[in-house]
Amino acid sequence: MVTSAQLLDRAEALAEVCGRPDLQRRLLQARARSADPRVRVLVVGEPKQGKSSLVNGLVGAPVCPVADDVATVVPTVVRAGEAPRASLVLATGPQPGHDGPTERVPVPVDQVAARVTGEGTDRLVQAEVELPRRLLDGLELVDTAGVGGVGAQRALHTVDLLPTADAVLLVSDASQEFTAPEMAFLEQAVALCPTVVCVLTKTDACPHWREVAELDRAHLARRGIEAPLFTVSAALAQLAVQHRDRELHEESGIGALVTHLRREVVDRAEVLARRALVHDLRAVTEHLSLAVRTELAGLEDPSAREELVRGLEEARAAADDLRRRSSRWQQVLTDGVTDLVADIDFDLRDRSRVVVREAEEAIDAQDPGPMWPELSEWLDRRIAAAVADSYVWAEQRSEWLAERVIEQFARDGGGAVPALTVGAAGEALAGLVELPVVDDGAMTLRERTLIGLRGSYTGVLMTGLVTSLAGMAIINPVSVAAGVLLGRKAYRDDQQQRLQRRRTEAKAVVRRHLDEVVFQVAKHLKDRLRTVSRTLRDLITDTAEEMSRSLADAVAAAQRAIREATAERDARIRSLRQRRDQLDRLAADVRALDRDAVTAA
Amino acid sequence: MTGSLDDVRALLDDALAHYADVPAAAARLEAQRRRLDEPLRVALVGRVKSGKSTLLNALVGARVAPTDAGECTRVVTVYRHGATPRVELYGTDGGRRTLPVRRADGGLRLELGGTPPEEVAQLVVDWPTEDLLPATVVDTPGIASLSTGTSARTHGFLGTEDGPAGADAVVFLTRQPQPEDVAVLAAFQAGTGGEGALTTTITVLSRADEVGAGRLDALHAADKVARRMSADPQVAAVSSAVVPVAGLLALAARTLRHGDYVALRALAGADQAQVSRVLLTADRFTRPDAPVPVSVEVRTALLDRLGLFGIRLSIGLVRAGVPDATALAEELLRRSGLAELQRLLRVHFTERGAQLRAGTALRLLEAVLAEHSVPGDDGLRAELERLRLGTPDLAELDLLARSRAADGPLPPELRIEGERLLGAQGTAPAARLGLPAGTPDDALRRAALEALARWRTAADDPLAGRATADAAEVVVRACEALLAGLDSSVAGGRPR
Repeated sequence: MVTSAQLLDRAEALAEVCGRPDLQRRLLQARARSADPRVRVLVVGEPKQGKSSLVNGLVGAPVCPVADDVATVVPTVVRAGEAPRASLVLATGPQPGHDGPTERVPVPVDQVAARVTGEGTDRLVQAEVELPRRLLDGLELVDTAGVGGVGAQRALHTVDLLPTADAVLLVSDASQEFTAPEMAFLEQAVALCPTVVCVLTKTDACPHWREVAELDRAHLARRGIEAPLFTVSAALAQLAVQHRDRELHEESGIGALVTHLRREVVDRAEVLARRALVHDLRAVTEHLSLAVRTELAGLEDPSAREELVRGLEEARAAADDLRRRSSRWQQVLTDGVTDLVADIDFDLRDRSRVVVREAEEAIDAQDPGPMWPELSEWLDRRIAAAVADSYVWAEQRSEWLAERVIEQFARDGGGAVPALTVGAAGEALAGLVELPVVDDGAMTLRERTLIGLRGSYTGVLMTGLVTSLAGMAIINPVSVAAGVLLGRKAYRDDQQQRLQRRRTEAKAVVRRHLDEVVFQVAKHLKDRLRTVSRTLRDLITDTAEEMSRSLADAVAAAQRAIREATAERDARIRSLRQRRDQLDRLAADVRALDRDAVTAA
Repeated sequence: MTGSLDDVRALLDDALAHYADVPAAAARLEAQRRRLDEPLRVALVGRVKSGKSTLLNALVGARVAPTDAGECTRVVTVYRHGATPRVELYGTDGGRRTLPVRRADGGLRLELGGTPPEEVAQLVVDWPTEDLLPATVVDTPGIASLSTGTSARTHGFLGTEDGPAGADAVVFLTRQPQPEDVAVLAAFQAGTGGEGALTTTITVLSRADEVGAGRLDALHAADKVARRMSADPQVAAVSSAVVPVAGLLALAARTLRHGDYVALRALAGADQAQVSRVLLTADRFTRPDAPVPVSVEVRTALLDRLGLFGIRLSIGLVRAGVPDATALAEELLRRSGLAELQRLLRVHFTERGAQLRAGTALRLLEAVLAEHSVPGDDGLRAELERLRLGTPDLAELDLLARSRAADGPLPPELRIEGERLLGAQGTAPAARLGLPAGTPDDALRRAALEALARWRTAADDPLAGRATADAAEVVVRACEALLAGLDSSVAGGRPR
C-alpha cells in the first residue's frame, strides 16, 4: 500500500512539472499539517461577532483580546501545554510581514490578550498560548482577525489560513441571520477545509436567537452546506467558570460545542487528517488533470490540425485572389484609358465642330473683314470654354476610372483614390498660335479709283467705238455715260468678289485654327491621361506587390506552422499522455487512501 | 437661498420645454422638477438587520415600519407627512393602489395585500406626525441580503445603477463598516453629491446598545468606537460624522407608557441579586418561573420593546431615582443618541435642504444636457453655469463635499477650520466660527474678521496651487457672507 507521504511527493512533482506553484504551496501546507498530529481548528468570522470570546469561553481563560472595538488583528494560537505559558511571535526582518524571520518573546499568560491589541503590534505575527486543558489534547484553537471590515488590512490573512486548518468554526452573532458576505466566506471555507462548524454566539444578549438560528439553518440547507450549527453564549460560559455554576454552563451551550469538537474533530483526528489530506490531494489532482486533459483534448482534437490547414488554405486562397484581381484591374485600367482617350478625342472634336459651325454662321451673316477682331476674340473665348469643359470632363472621367480600377483591385475596401489631375485648359491653349488676320476689306481711294477706271475704261472704249461708226468722236457723252455705268458695275462686282474671298478665307482660318486647337489639346490631354493611368498603375502595382509579398509570407508561415506543429504536438501529446497516466494513477491511489480512511473510521 | 431654488425651478421648466420631444430626458426632468417642490428626502441605508426600520420608527415616534428577528423590510418604503394615515402601493407596472391602514400598538401594520415584493416599486406611507414635516424619510431593504432581489431594490433606489437617485441625502447605518458598504455609499454619492459627500451622508453606528453585549456602559463604548470609525480615512471619505444611536432604546423612550414604568419600578424594587441573575440572559428574563414580581407576559413585552440593555439601563435609572415615566423617557432618549442624530440631520440636511435639492437638480440637468443635445440648449447651459457660479451655497457645498478626499483642495492645517466655516458643523454664524451659541455679535464679528484675514492670506499664498487658491477663495467668500449677515442683523436690530 502506498503511504500518504509518497502520494504527496508524487503530487508535488506533478504540480511542479505542470507549473502550478499555487498548488505546490497547498501541498506544502498539507504536508506540514499531516506531519503535525494536532488538529488545528480555525475560529473565523466577521469582526465583532465574538470569535475571541468564544475561544476564551472554550478554554475558560481570557487569553484572546476582547474589546468593544475591533481588537484581534493577529491570530492567537491556543494549544495544550504542561503549564500556562504564552509568547509573542515578532517579525524581525526589515519589512514587517509573514514571510520574514521571526523571534519568540515570552509574556505572562494574563498579559497576552493586552499585548496583542492596540499600539505597537506592527511587527506582531501571531501570539501563542499553551494551557493545560483537557479539551486542548491534540487540538489547537486559532483565534483570527475578522474577515472583511474597513481598515483591517491584516484580516486578509485569515483567508490564507483556511487551507491550513483541519476544522473551521464560523462565528456569527445571534443578532442577525447570515449576510451575503458571510455566506460567501462560508462557501469558501467549505471548499478549502474538510470540516466546518457554524457557531451562533451572544445568545444571552439576543432575545430572538432561536429564530435567527432557524433562519440560518434554512440558509445552509438551501445552499446545500452540511454544517452543524451550535448556539452558544461565551459570556455565560465565562460566568459559569467564575461561579462554578453548572446550570449556567449548560445554558451557555458551550458544552455541546466542546463535545462536538472532541467527538467529531479530535477523536477522529487521524481519520480527519487523512480525510483532509485526501481532500487536498484530490483537489490538486483534479486541478492538474483538468488542465492536462484540456490541453490534451485540444491537441488530439483533429479540428486543431484542421485549423492550421484551414489557415494555410485561406492564405493560399488570398494570394490567388490577389493574382486574379490584379489581372482584372489591369484589364479595367487599359480598357478604361483607351475608352477615355477615344471619348476625349470625340468630345473635343464635337465641341470644336460646334464652335466652327457657330463661327461660320457669324461669318456668313456679316463681312468678316471689319469684324474680325471681335470675331477672333469671341472665338478665343469659345475655344477656351470648350477646352476647359473638356478638361473638367476628362478629369471626372479619369477619377471615375481610378475608382473603378481601385474597386476592382480591392473589393474589400482599403484602396484610396489617389489625387489625379488632368491639368488646366490654359496650359494646352498657351502653346497655340495666334489666329491669323483676315483681310479687313478696307480699300484706299487709289485702289477704288483704279477698279472704277478699269471698268469705265472698257465701257468708254466699247461705246466710243460703236458711236464712232456714227461719226462721233470716241469720247462722246454716250460713251462717257456708258463708261461710268460699267465702271460702277465693275467696282461693285469686285467688291462682291472680295467679300466672298474674305469669307472663304476667314472660314478656312477658323477651321485651321480649330484643327490646331484640337490637335494640341488632344495631345496634351492624352499625355495627361497617360500620366494618370501610369500613376494608377504604379500605385496599384506597389500595393499589389506588398500584398502579394505578405500573402506569400503568410502562406509560408502557415506551412511552417503545420510542419512544426506536427512535430511539437507529437512530443507534447506524448508528455501530456504520460502526465495524465501519472495523474490517473495518483487519483486511484488517493481513492484507495480514502477507502482506507473510511474503513479505519 | 430660496431665490436660487426659484431660479432652479425656472431653469428646469425651461429645460422641460426644450426637451418636450425627448421622452426619456423629459421624464427624468419631470421627476426632478416634482422633487423640487417636495420636502427633502432622507434615505436610511445599511446592511440587513442594521436597525434601519427601528431607527425610522424612533425618528417617527411610532412603530410604523415593520421589524422582526429575521430580515423584514423587503420593499422601499417612503414615509412622509400627511394629515391622515394612508398607505399607497406603487407597482413596477406603473399601477397604484391604496392599501388598508391597519393600526397596531399605536403604530401601523404594513401588509402588501398579497402583492409579491418583486412587483412593488415602492410603498408610500402618509403618517400624521410633525417629525416628518421637514424631511421625508425612506426605509430601504438591507444591503448584502441573502435573498436575491432585496438588495437590488435598494441599489436601484439609490441610483447606484446610474439612474436618478431616489434620495437627496443618506443616513447610513452600520455596526461595523464593510468594504462593500463603503462602495454602495460612494456610488450613491457619485449619483447625487459628486465625489465624497460630507454633505449628503451621515453614518450611524447602529444598535449601539449591543456594542458591549448590553453592558451598562455599552453606550460609552459605542461612543469610543464611533470616534475611532470617523477617524478611519475610508469612512471619512464617504461620510461626515459617525454617531452612535441605540435605535431600540430611542423608540422605547418615545413610546414609553406608564405601564412599562410601573413594571420597571417593580423590577427595580425587587431583590437585586435575583433580578440581576434573571437579567443575565434574555431567555432567563422571559422564563415563566422567574423569581420576580412581574408577570411573564409583561416581561416579554418589555423585552420586546426595550431590549435587554434597555431594561437593565431603565432599572438602573429607576433605582437611581428617576421619578416617573416622562423623566425616564427623557433620560433614555438622551442616552440613545437620537437627539444628536436629529441635530445632525437638521444641521446637515434640513437646514441645507434647498441647496441639496438645487444641487441634485442642477447635476441632473447637467447630465441630461451632456446626454441629449437639443436645439437651443446653449441658453440652458449658460443659465446652468450662471446658477452654479452665482450661488455661493452651491460652491460651499461642492467644496465641502470634496474637502475630505485624500487629495482635498484645502490646506491640511486649515482644513478643519475651513470645513467649519463652510458650515460643516451648522450654518449659524456661531457654529461656523466654532464659538458657543449665544456668543455676542461683537465677538462673532471679531472672530469672523480674523478668519477672513487668515483665509485671504491663504488665498493669496503664492506657493499655493490653483485648486487650493480657488478653494480658499470660496472660504473667503463664506467669511464675507458671514460678516455681511452679521452687519445686516445688527442694522435690522434682530440678533440671530
